Amino acid sequence: MKILSKDNFHAFVDTLIQEGSMNIEGVKAKGEKFVFGPLDSAKELRLDYDVTILSPKKYFLPQFETMMAFDSTGVKKPAPAKKKVIIGVHPYDIMAIMQMDKYFFDTNVDDAYLEKRKNATIIGLIPKNVSEKAFFGNMSQLFDSQPELAYDLMLADLGDKFAVMVGSERGKALLEKAQNVAEATPEEAQKVQQLQKDVQQKATRNLKASPRGWHDLLAANYSSPVWKEQGDKCLGCGTCTLVCPTCFCYDVKDEVNLDLTSGARIRTWDGCLLRDFTKVAPGEIFREKIEDRYRHRFNRKGQYLPEMLGFVACVGCGRCSSQCIPDIADPVELFNKLAEGGMVPEGPAFELPIKADLAAIPDTTNLYIPRSATLKRVEKVTKTETFFEIQLDDGQPLGHQPGQFVEVSIMGIGEAPISVSSAPGGNTFEMVVRNVGDVTSKLHGLKAGDKIGIRGPFGTGFDFEALKGKNLLFVAGGLGIVPMRSLINQVLNNRADYGKVQILYGCKEPCELLFADEIKSWPDKGAEHLLTVDKCPEGECWEGNIGVVGTLVPKVQFVPQDTMAIVVGPPIFYRFVIADLKKIGVPEENIIVSLERRMKCGVGKCGHCQMNGIYVCKEGPVFNLADLKDIPEAF
Amino acid sequence: MTKPRVAFFDFSSCEGCQLQVVNLEEALLDVLALVDIVEFREAMKESSTEYDIAIIEGSITRPIDVERIKKIRERASILIAMGACAHLGGVQRMSNQWTGEENKAEVYKRHPGSETTKGDSNPYFAQPRHRAVDEIVKVDATIPGCPIDTAEFGRVLVALLQGKKLPIPDYPVCVECKKNENICVFETGGFCMGPIARAGCGAPCPTHGGECEACRGYVDHPHTQAHNEVLKKYGLTPEQIMNRKTMYTYRYVEEAKGGE
Ligand SMILES: Cc1cc2nc3c(=O)[nH]c(=O)nc-3n(C[C@H](O)[C@H](O)[C@H](O)COP(=O)(O)OP(=O)(O)OC[C@H]3O[C@@H](n4cnc5c(N)ncnc54)[C@H](O)[C@@H]3O)c2cc1C
Ligand code: SF4
Ligand code: SF4
Ligand code: SF4
Ligand code: SF4
Ligand code: FES
Repeated sequence: MKILSKDNFHAFVDTLIQEGSMNIEGVKAKGEKFVFGPLDSAKELRLDYDVTILSPKKYFLPQFETMMAFDSTGVKKPAPAKKKVIIGVHPYDIMAIMQMDKYFFDTNVDDAYLEKRKNATIIGLIPKNVSEKAFFGNMSQLFDSQPELAYDLMLADLGDKFAVMVGSERGKALLEKAQNVAEATPEEAQKVQQLQKDVQQKATRNLKASPRGWHDLLAANYSSPVWKEQGDKCLGCGTCTLVCPTCFCYDVKDEVNLDLTSGARIRTWDGCLLRDFTKVAPGEIFREKIEDRYRHRFNRKGQYLPEMLGFVACVGCGRCSSQCIPDIADPVELFNKLAEGGMVPEGPAFELPIKADLAAIPDTTNLYIPRSATLKRVEKVTKTETFFEIQLDDGQPLGHQPGQFVEVSIMGIGEAPISVSSAPGGNTFEMVVRNVGDVTSKLHGLKAGDKIGIRGPFGTGFDFEALKGKNLLFVAGGLGIVPMRSLINQVLNNRADYGKVQILYGCKEPCELLFADEIKSWPDKGAEHLLTVDKCPEGECWEGNIGVVGTLVPKVQFVPQDTMAIVVGPPIFYRFVIADLKKIGVPEENIIVSLERRMKCGVGKCGHCQMNGIYVCKEGPVFNLADLKDIPEAF
Repeated sequence: MTKPRVAFFDFSSCEGCQLQVVNLEEALLDVLALVDIVEFREAMKESSTEYDIAIIEGSITRPIDVERIKKIRERASILIAMGACAHLGGVQRMSNQWTGEENKAEVYKRHPGSETTKGDSNPYFAQPRHRAVDEIVKVDATIPGCPIDTAEFGRVLVALLQGKKLPIPDYPVCVECKKNENICVFETGGFCMGPIARAGCGAPCPTHGGECEACRGYVDHPHTQAHNEVLKKYGLTPEQIMNRKTMYTYRYVEEAKGGE
């Protein structure tokens, strides 16, 4: 531990500012409140602050962030920003950054985030003052011992001097620019410890449900009337998620300049309390009711992220508590309300968070810039659907599994998740797109030779290896045939590996039937099939069944216990078909579905596709029905 | 591609929104590269009856205005309502609370000597009832705000020319206010319509120390009841709450009454 007089500390900060090689950011006053912002001089620093309006999250996941710029010559990643030093980050906010690290480095490394993290030196500060609503003292009960925090330097205010703890090589190197740094005496070290203890004490509120038990408390209260009671008071304003250092959901938008060719793809904060967060093109909203959105926020913090990544996504900063105008966002009060129900579980201690080793994470990932691809074949197949055959311009095969999807990108318009419809293998891949919105209608206007962007393949598809040797019953409704075709063709290309193959496929009207020519070849390839339409308008001809897909189920012979049913279609279709299949004895473990949700990133970061704790873009879209038993938001 | 011809028309308004278009300054040149402006009283002399896109400013007030807007609608393939007056009926819609006679008496008794009897038969003095443009004719796009935001004007124009959905958000002003890291007006003793007002303006009013008056109207599903409770909690009487809601958004009050 080092010691630096306050005068010397100010001189140190002023030196950094004058050097000009880095942006020096710190806590300043804004009216009666505090914010992180660029410093013109060390005098502006307000290291006596209690809490800032927004957290330092804004440095790593900015309110608005250019992910890429585009013009007629192509797509470019923005140049890395200047290095930063951020002065005065309280431990709870450092804890939140460590959670963000875990979230953005998990499975798919978010390169935009990584760059900002590598570029920032964090100078922490043990708080002297504590805001009225803060409860980070309570949150420390999650652990059996003190976690090691991811700071470069950490300050503790000892009156006319700062004690400085060094947390990294980068911190050590920075501190070398300070003058008259002394070693701390044992008494000074003692004082720092006392300060830490005192502040934990001050930031402890009357929380009746230990955060170790939040998970079970939430699980037991999924249907509690509390959600509706509180939800009725909620403005749906999104404040509680926007100000939260551990809410990471975002939206992505293309902004186009008045020249109509250049522009930027922008990522901006979004939140699950906002109504259109889960809205998809046909107008369906998966979390339409405000109480469901209100509940989702707490469940994500207390149940879903703990299950997924092992941390409670609340650090007790109290920002939501103080900034929610109807005063219903405060976790302490909400959990106390739930605890009134009687059950106050006390779970085991959480594992201590681990400091991410930033240097060890390679900057080579590229999560968001699409690969250029060429449309090889474009065929309008129905009034609203068009077929595309696509080749990646880098010559690589897509390398997908059946049931996976890609993000199709048109610069200036946006991205849309689209299933790959062809079987694995080959140098091109296929998809069929329904014209419903911005991206899909632009796609419909393109012709062979035109360029699009592709990211992916993403998601977890059908496990065709595990299906080998089994009898397969395919049930497709409407566009569900599109992802299913990838698996059907894979199976038919390797027909000897599978048992009986039966395909039931229905659409609204005969003119909407997809892949009619291919269907004709199914009998020769060893697949039995039945087709149906909901209705056949006058003037169209139709030889198959009339009625919903479910009416086909009794018409085929299969042993329910001995058959894997693969079911893909629009949301209401599932409710009926699954009930039909279960009625005749198909066990849940034998039913495989592919689900649709609003998707933006496709890589498990933006948060839009969640149903309860599941990221559909990553863990799905293909699921075994048995795994969805405890997922009330699934259907 | 031939450039679409654009004509601006003003009805009952302060012409501030048209001024915002003039204020585009350099960007105005970019706009002119995309479209031909064939009628724009505030910036040019020419006028035309040949146009593709009609941009309407102002509320529709008198019978002669109704006739005029219908004619414009017939000629335009795209009709855009620009600004709070065209979108909602404007602040002048407040006067719909009283009869035309009452309004006239109120105005002219304050200015003795200005009474006019001739006015009664003159169509220009017809007793006004303020209406939004979409209450009279079909509107293809709305650019909300009082005045409109110049950046949003550009975004709407780009979206129309690209054939995209309009980039007008359906979340409340609080979202943009929070992104600006403002101290909430409610915390400093004020009252704010931000939680139910439609974002897209970038929350300039709370950002510069004011209160949001919902000049852009409400989001599609405003949590009005919860917002009323908040206003009450912070000390507004029911009457004061109603006053807040008649400023720019009397349209919704009328619609709620009509729906009863
Ligand atoms: C895993 C998956 C596979 C899909 N496969 C196909 C397919 O093979 N063929 C096909 O025609 N459609 C498919 N869809 C639906 C397709 O993604 C939407 O129709 C499309 O995103 C609409 O985009 P848009 O820009 O045209 O519409 P807009 O309404 O302008 O949508 C704007 C944005 O909202 C999001 N969004 C809107 N609707 C949806 C939706 N239904 N699902 C997910 N995100 C949405 C997207 O990010 C989209 O870019 C699939 C969806 C998912 C989730
Ligand atoms: S809980 Fe509070 S802050 Fe969150 S959306 Fe509802 S009203 Fe807004
Ligand atoms: S939930 Fe509230 S108290 Fe917890 S970290 Fe987020 S803003 Fe802070
Ligand atoms: S000042 Fe108004 S817009 Fe901003 S957060 Fe508060 S209520 Fe919302
Ligand atoms: S903050 Fe409110 S009053 Fe101000 S421009 Fe936006 S919607 Fe209008
Ligand atoms: S998390 Fe972004 S689409 Fe799934």
